Order: sequence, then structure tokens, then C-alpha cells
Amino acid sequence: MARWIPDESGEEAALLEGLGISSTDALFTDVPKRARIGRMGVGAAREEPDVVAEVDRLLGRNRPLSNFSSFMGGRLTSRYSPAAVDSIVSRSEFYTAYTPYQAEASQGMLRTLFEFQSLWVEMTGLDVANASLYDGATAGGEALLFCRRLHEGTRFLVPASLPWEERSVLENYASGPGLRVEEIPYDDRTGRLDLEFVRSAVAKKDVFGVLADVPNGFGHVDEGVSELKSILGDVPLVIAADPLSLSVLEAPGNYGADVVVGEGQGFGIAPSFGGPLLGLFACRKEHVRSAPGRIVGATFDTEGRRAYALTLVTREQHIRRSRATSNICTNESLMALAFVVYATVVGPRGLARLQASLAEKARTLASGLGAIEGLKAPRFDAPYLGDFTVEVGRGTAEEFLDRLRRRKILGGHPLSDPRPASTRGPERILVGLGETTSEKDIQKYVKAARAAIGAVGRTA
Amino acid sequence: MTFRQARWDEPSVWDLAPPRSSEAPPQISGIPEKLRRKHAVQWPELSELEVVRHYTRLSQMNFGIDTAPYPLGSCTMKYNPKVSEVLARRKGAAEVHPYQPEATVQGSLEVFWRLERILSRVTGLPEVSLQPAAGAHGEYAAMLMVRAYFRDLGELAERTEVLLPDTAHGTNPASAAMAGFATREIPSKDGCVDVQELGRAVSKKTACFMLTNPNTAGLFESEILEIAETVHASGAMLYYDGANLNAILGVTHPGRMGFDVAHLNLHKTFATPHGGGGPGAGVLAANDKLGPYLPVPRIVKEGRRFRLDYDRPKSIGKIKTAYGNFGLDLRAYAFILSHGEEGLKHISRRAVLNSNYVASRLGKHLPRPFRPLVKHEFVLSGAPLKERGVRTLDLAKRLLDEGVHAPTVYFPSLVEESLMIELPETESKRELDGYIAAFERALADTPENLHAAPRSLSVTRVDEVRAAREPLLSWKDLRAASEKAETP
Repeated sequence: MARWIPDESGEEAALLEGLGISSTDALFTDVPKRARIGRMGVGAAREEPDVVAEVDRLLGRNRPLSNFSSFMGGRLTSRYSPAAVDSIVSRSEFYTAYTPYQAEASQGMLRTLFEFQSLWVEMTGLDVANASLYDGATAGGEALLFCRRLHEGTRFLVPASLPWEERSVLENYASGPGLRVEEIPYDDRTGRLDLEFVRSAVAKKDVFGVLADVPNGFGHVDEGVSELKSILGDVPLVIAADPLSLSVLEAPGNYGADVVVGEGQGFGIAPSFGGPLLGLFACRKEHVRSAPGRIVGATFDTEGRRAYALTLVTREQHIRRSRATSNICTNESLMALAFVVYATVVGPRGLARLQASLAEKARTLASGLGAIEGLKAPRFDAPYLGDFTVEVGRGTAEEFLDRLRRRKILGGHPLSDPRPASTRGPERILVGLGETTSEKDIQKYVKAARAAIGAVGRTA
Repeated sequence: MTFRQARWDEPSVWDLAPPRSSEAPPQISGIPEKLRRKHAVQWPELSELEVVRHYTRLSQMNFGIDTAPYPLGSCTMKYNPKVSEVLARRKGAAEVHPYQPEATVQGSLEVFWRLERILSRVTGLPEVSLQPAAGAHGEYAAMLMVRAYFRDLGELAERTEVLLPDTAHGTNPASAAMAGFATREIPSKDGCVDVQELGRAVSKKTACFMLTNPNTAGLFESEILEIAETVHASGAMLYYDGANLNAILGVTHPGRMGFDVAHLNLHKTFATPHGGGGPGAGVLAANDKLGPYLPVPRIVKEGRRFRLDYDRPKSIGKIKTAYGNFGLDLRAYAFILSHGEEGLKHISRRAVLNSNYVASRLGKHLPRPFRPLVKHEFVLSGAPLKERGVRTLDLAKRLLDEGVHAPTVYFPSLVEESLMIELPETESKRELDGYIAAFERALADTPENLHAAPRSLSVTRVDEVRAAREPLLSWKDLRAASEKAETP
């Protein structure tokens, strides 16, 4: 039996005695007999060393990133996090706390969240950030609903290059209120958004919002995003931005974004097979009462000391119930802490230097892969910051990656939607890099890619 | 207990080292001028030690379970075992990318699969997905599943309404509304669902009835089987909000009670840390009717191999990036292994014992609005305090001075000046007696002292009205406010 349930001798007997009963059975007489269950079938309790051994045995069946030269990229990264970040995140005053409902007892977390909100405001050029959402994809979903509160219409436009997962999440958020998610086509050579398509769609008056991602789903930076707002007019523009990219790219608020969302996992949060992640959300101050999620505000205590509290709560589910701006209760506060500690430890110049070094390495890799017959790298003729798309001309993306894996390379991930009902697009792979990617790793990838594509050529 | 929280005179991070502005970040070739950042992000440049000190000091101005009992009702703030923290940081857990090939992530997939199988037995519902990031996220996904189910039956145009009791968590109506349903509240009778009222409200328009059992008043809905019958007779679905599962492990489960679909909060019953507001981890469990609609991918076992299965034509698709909050799922798995069948049952017996013990003591001082037998939490009314000019809020703040966290206050709203108290199974009798004594001291204190509380924390009573009336939501707002103040 786990020792976490206190069992000092006589303890439960004393509690029972205090209630004047002899057994806990008397506490469950309100559960009708017909609703009772027998055994659940969970198995016997294990002691801590045994639990550790069992979990380690299971985890031993994984092959973590360090077993490979990793080129996993996209919204979720395998970037390095300074040890100081986890040291702070591991402080149990933070990680064992609940949502800071009692402001006086929770100034530490409230101040941290206020700093986090402030950082996302500085990065995006907008006015207000919330205290986090679940992940980048759901932040996009909340942004879709937010846009609908600001503008009439039934159509929400997103790039056709948006990762399929995000598209699926957006479709779910749209489905409740009967809204539609539609694709903006892209130029086959550059991957750039078809702005004329956007212009004519908006002219039909039924578009309530447009989302564009920076970098886009192919890893590229599309200059056209800076022209979107002039086309949209009062139709809200959502930019889904990679936070690291904002160390070197213009703040989207400065080119007309009304909302900036993002996935914050790359800032001090381990990939952990996909969670927990961190959803980022910022908007303009005039729209704050339509915003989803918790928001921390600055105020004072009774002695005039600066103090912080959850605020504008009349937007939220526990007050407004079915008319709330969102159902968010739990968010990702601890991940927001990791984000702000990471950014502060690395510093604004450090972030920009990191992005520049990833871009440099990506160019080396792309030119190496681009020289291989049967591969197109980068697939699109557009600038990139670290991630880029490779198109495999022979065989499938999965086969190509499989061959690389046998040489201890994780060469990226396929971009196609794995659901059988979806139409299989071109064989494309998103490739990314990290701090630990060395020149040697890059050369290894190029060599293995040549062999892999050559092998397909022979068997074809 | 004499209690003093740290009161660091710690500046905000930007006041530690005001950012130097003008420098432009390095230019990356190919990026057009229009999209280049002209000035580096305005954020301080601090030494690592300065950063560590700053956030360490902030942490010392924060309550956690590790510092004090945290009896927030409906939040199940139990001890978060340290062994789970160690395991979640193993390389094989943390340093695994979700898009790695299946052959390299067999361990993660097996953890998911095993946990899903266990939670299927705990809930009595055959199909389980761990994709939701939190409880409310699971509620929302479940409502989307209900929607898809009735669409397939051709009944969606008619079934536009979700019913819920007036004691429901706010997330329930919010999730139902986001999924496109109208919501309607069923009034309670003596703290429980009034089955007659429910019977009158249920119709062909009803898509679902959402229920928490035990409910937020801490009462077990003893007429649950009649409720299920009433709901199902109209063809509607019955949804289980698993926030209060901690009371009934091994006694009953959603499947036996007649629920069609359920969410659980791993950060409540299964002890994953709540991180000051999140992360959580949600679980969706469904019967055979709704199971096909669960999000993709599902985890399947084929021989000795585990696989992500996307071939579920009826699935609602994705509700989040990747597959779930693995870091939390692993912690919950270790927690369940440690307890086993008997341990899980013991959790609920002890949580309910703790709750009734404290309720019987505190019930001598403040009215308990409903029947005395409660489950894992109980509700008191602070209404009599008003005679002394004191409100529940004052009592809550005064409790903080005792070095214990306050209860949930002003919820459920059907009780005037309510306090909802939950002291889970990990609190010893000594802690319970200490809490009771602290509560009694707080109650016995003078109105002046109650109004002046708290005094032992890093700040005194925080002006939340001002925070909402004059919103200052970021450093940018603070700068603007101070510029305005300096302008003559």
C-alpha cells in the first residue's frame, strides 16, 4: 500500500471514533447497492523501487532523441533548455500550487504570470496576453472563436500549408457554432499565400477572420503576411508565430495582427512525447473583454504595496458559465513559468543569436540535400529560419525517413495527414535543427540521404 | 501556529536591469526588410544567478501543497509524489519527440496503452483517450462527440439542448455552449438533482445531461440510476464530470452508474501536480456508442507492438497537438502502480473519512446546508457571520494567516456565503486537527482582525476591484500608466 496515505497506528480508528462509527462502510450508505462494483482489476500495489524499475523498463523501450542525430522540427522542437529552467520549474512552491484564486497566498505565481504576459506582449507588439492556453493549436482554436466575437461571418481562412493537426483542431473549434475553416491556396514555387484569393474571399463579406503562420507550415517566412491586414480591413488577422522567430522578425502587431498565438514548447519545455505544451495568446487592449483564458492584472494591497490578482474574471466560465468567452479553467501556468525563465536566462540577444545560428546550419543542410538527385531541398523558394521542407522524389517520405533512422538519424517528420480518408499529398518532410546539431551531424544526414534516395532508385 | 510568508522586496524582472533598447538583432539572409525586427525584444539581460534568485524569491511568496494543507473544494489538492517527478524527467520520458517513428517510441505508446486500459477499468467504460490537455478540454471534446453522434443519427437539428444541475462546475455550461448547444439548468432539491424536475425538462430536444457525482455540494447523487433511466428514456446521453472521482474509487464507477461518456482530471484523483494553474491532464472515457467518436489517433496493440491508429472514420479528429500530456500521464501511471487495487479503494475511503471528520467538527460552528453524510468534500455556509459584519471572504483571508490555504469560496452558488472544503487522503489526522483548530481560531477572532486579514503574507488584502476597474495587464501598461502619472 502506498505510504502516501497516512497510517500512524490507530489513526483511522481515531477518525472513525470521532465520527462514532466503526467502519468506513457507514460512509458509503448513500451509494445504492445496484450501483456498487466489485473489483476493478487494477492489480496489486507495488513498492517504490519496483515502480521505478517497472517505469524504467517501459521507458527503456523508447529510443530518446540523444540516441540519434535529430532533425525533428516544426512547432514542437527538441531544442536545449538550460538546467536553470528546470531547477526553477522544480520548485514545489510553484509546481504543487493550484490556480492562484487567493491572490495574497499566490503572489509568486501571479507575478511570474504577469512577467510572462508582459514578455509575450513585448514579443508580439500587441497589448494584452493571457496567462496561457493548452497549446499552439488550441490557442488557434480560441483565436478563431475570438475573431467571431469581433466580426460577423461564417468563414475562417487558413493557409493550405497549415499542419494538418492544427487544421483539424481548428475545424473542431469551428464546428460548435457552425463555422467553416477554408484554405488559402499557396504558390507552388514559393509556398506564398495567394493574396488575390484572400482579397476576393474577403470581398464576399462572409469572412470573420484569417489566420497565417510565421514561419508557415513549410518552415518558410512569407513576406505576404505583412500585406494581409491591408487586404482584410476590419476583418481580424491572427498570426500564429513561432516565439523564437520573433527574436529576429518584426512584431506582428506592427503589421496589423489583431491576435498573435503560438506554441511555446521550444522555450524551456521538454518535448515529452507531446505534452505538456504551452499555448500563447495576445490581442489588442480594446478587445480584452472578448479574450479567452485567465489574465493577471496589477493592483495594490491595502498598504499601497504593488500586488497582483487574476482579473477581468467576468469573462470566465466560473462567473459567466454558458456565456463565458472560453471554457478554460486549467491552463499551462507552470509551462508559462518555464517560458519566461528560459527567455530571461537566454536573454533577448541570446535568442536572436540562437535563431541566426539555426538559420546558418539550416542553409548548410539545405544546400547539401538540394544537391542530391531525387530530393528537392528546400522545396520552396522562400527564406527560412531553421526549419524547411524537403520533397522526396522517389518512394514515400516514410520510407526515406526509415532508411535514415537505420543510420541513427531522425530526419524530420512527414507533412501528410495520416488519416486514411485524407488525400495523400506530395511526399514532403519538415526538417529542423537544434543547438546540438553539429557540422558532423549535417554531413552525416547528407550522406545518408544520398544513400537512402539512391536505394529507392534501385528498388523502384 | 505562527506563520510568516517571505516578503521579499523584489522588483519585477524589467526593473532589475532595464533593457537597453536600440540594438537591432542579427540579420538573417533572405528575410525581407519589412519583416525584420528593428529593435531587439525589450527584455532584461541578467546573469543566470540573478534570474535564479529572482524566481526563487518569487517562489517563496507562493503557497503549494508542499508548504501547507490546501483544502480547495473540488480541486483535490493531494500530495504529489516525488517519485513521479523523478520519473517524468527521465531521458526516456522527457527527451522523446511526438513525431518520432513509432518503432522508436514503443515505451511511450505502451505507457499510454496501459494507462488507458487501467482507466477503462476504473471508469467502467471500454474506450479511453488521453488526448485532452485538461478536464474542461475533455468536457468540450465529449460535447463534440455527442454532437457528432446525433448528427450521424440525423437528430442533431432537434437535439439542441444540454441540461445540467445548478450545482455544475462553470466549465460544464461553457463547454456545452462552445460545442454549439443551448444550456438549461435543473434546480436542485436538498443539494441534489431533483429527479422530478429533470423528468419534466428532458425531452427530444435534450442531447445530454452533464452531472458530477458526488456533486459539488459533496453529496452523492443517490438517485443516479433513476437519473440515468430518465435521461436515456429520451434518447439523450449522460455525461460524467470526473472532477470528484476521488470519492468513489472502487465503490462505484461511471459505467455502473449509467454514464455514456466521462472525463477525469489526472491532476486531481491521480495526483499529478497542478503547476499553479496547469498543466492538467484530461481523460476521455466512453461506452460503445460514443467510443468511435473519440479523437484520433487511438493507441492500439498488435501482437507485442503498439501503434497510433488513425483509421477511425467517425472520430472527431484532433483536439490538440500530438496525443496528450504524456509527462502527466506517466506520473499518474506511477501513482496507480504504487496504489494498486486496494490502494485506490483506500484513497476514497480515507478521503471520505477525512471529509466527514472535519465536517462534523466544523459543522458545530457553521451551518451545513444539506444532509450530514458527505463524500470527499463538504459545504458550509458563512451566512451567520454577517451578523458580526464578517463575510466568508474575510474568514478565507484570515485562514491564510494560519498558514493554511483557504477553501473554495462562493461556490456552489446555491449556498449563501458558501465555503467548500476538501482535505484529501494524504492529510494526516494531525493535519486535520491542526486545520480544525486554525479554523476555530479564525472564527473566534474579532471582526476587525478578520477584516484586516491577511497580515502574515507577502502582501495584505489585494484590491481586486481596482485590478478589474483599471486593468494593468502587462509591463507595457505599467509604463504607460507611469508616463501618464508623470505628465503634468
